[in-house]
Amino acid sequence: MRYLLFSILFVPALALAEDKMHSDHSHHGAHHSHEGHLHTQLVDGTDMQMDVERFDKFVADQSGNQIVIASVTGMVCDFCARGIEKTFKKDTDFQKIDVDLANGKVLIAYAASTKIVNKDIERKILSNGQTVTDIQILKAP
Amino acid sequence: MILSDEREDSVYYHYSPSYKYSLGIELVDEKQHTKNHANLRYTYLLDRKNTQYSQRNLYFQSSLSTGGNDEISYGFLGDWETRRYFIGFGAEELNSSMRDYSKQFIQIGFAPYLGNYGDLHSWLMVKSKRDSLTDEWNSYPVIKFFKGDYLLEFGIDENNEPDLHFMIRF
Repeated sequence: MRYLLFSILFVPALALAEDKMHSDHSHHGAHHSHEGHLHTQLVDGTDMQMDVERFDKFVADQSGNQIVIASVTGMVCDFCARGIEKTFKKDTDFQKIDVDLANGKVLIAYAASTKIVNKDIERKILSNGQTVTDIQILKAP
Repeated sequence: MILSDEREDSVYYHYSPSYKYSLGIELVDEKQHTKNHANLRYTYLLDRKNTQYSQRNLYFQSSLSTGGNDEISYGFLGDWETRRYFIGFGAEELNSSMRDYSKQFIQIGFAPYLGNYGDLHSWLMVKSKRDSLTDEWNSYPVIKFFKGDYLLEFGIDENNEPDLHFMIRF
């Protein structure tokens, strides 16, 4: 009974896996070309090391706003990272947030006039149990 | 969090003032004794190691029952996980005026695909659990899904008893 149930649940999971692999392949091809992307490097010349398409989608409606790219360790699970989003959503200056699990990045958008305090971002993410290792701040085009 | 296994059904509400510890109350329906009681629970993070691709945790957990049998429990929970693999274990000692016993479990699993933030995430796992009353290991497959603020973990053990965890993050 339990093996039958497991099989019933296993098949959809594999189907999802297959869909995901197709999706990853198509994304991988686009990633190599970088055609049409807004950024591939940070202002200090270092590689952005994140999902560029995800970044472009994130900043598409943030023209003129500040974009924080926080490098975070220990962010291995979507369910655990939800707490980061909930913490930032309590901040009135906050505009938008996204998480790039594959590259360990948290993207946070703030209004152009907001004074961003790195320590405050580090503290908010640490309060959820993850550790910030680097913070970059860009201005969205 | 809702839990159900061969011994009890329970609903557990907990609040974490910081990531270091949580306080909660667990409402328990004991299947074998057809009675209800509440447990006050305390969990403390003893150690956490964050890396870019993994997280390792070790927790102390304890509880105090309001069931009238002076039942207390204490033990440890640990896990190591990446986006692809998971290993977890737990050991708990339960003492009361009626009986003393212990419970242990180990759980390993993998994610057949790596979802992005916001996707449906799926895990295929095997769990083995034992308690000192039966002194037998019971191993069975477990499947776990989570999406957004919802997590569901489900398995059926060797005695055809369901092992269900459902969690909502508020």
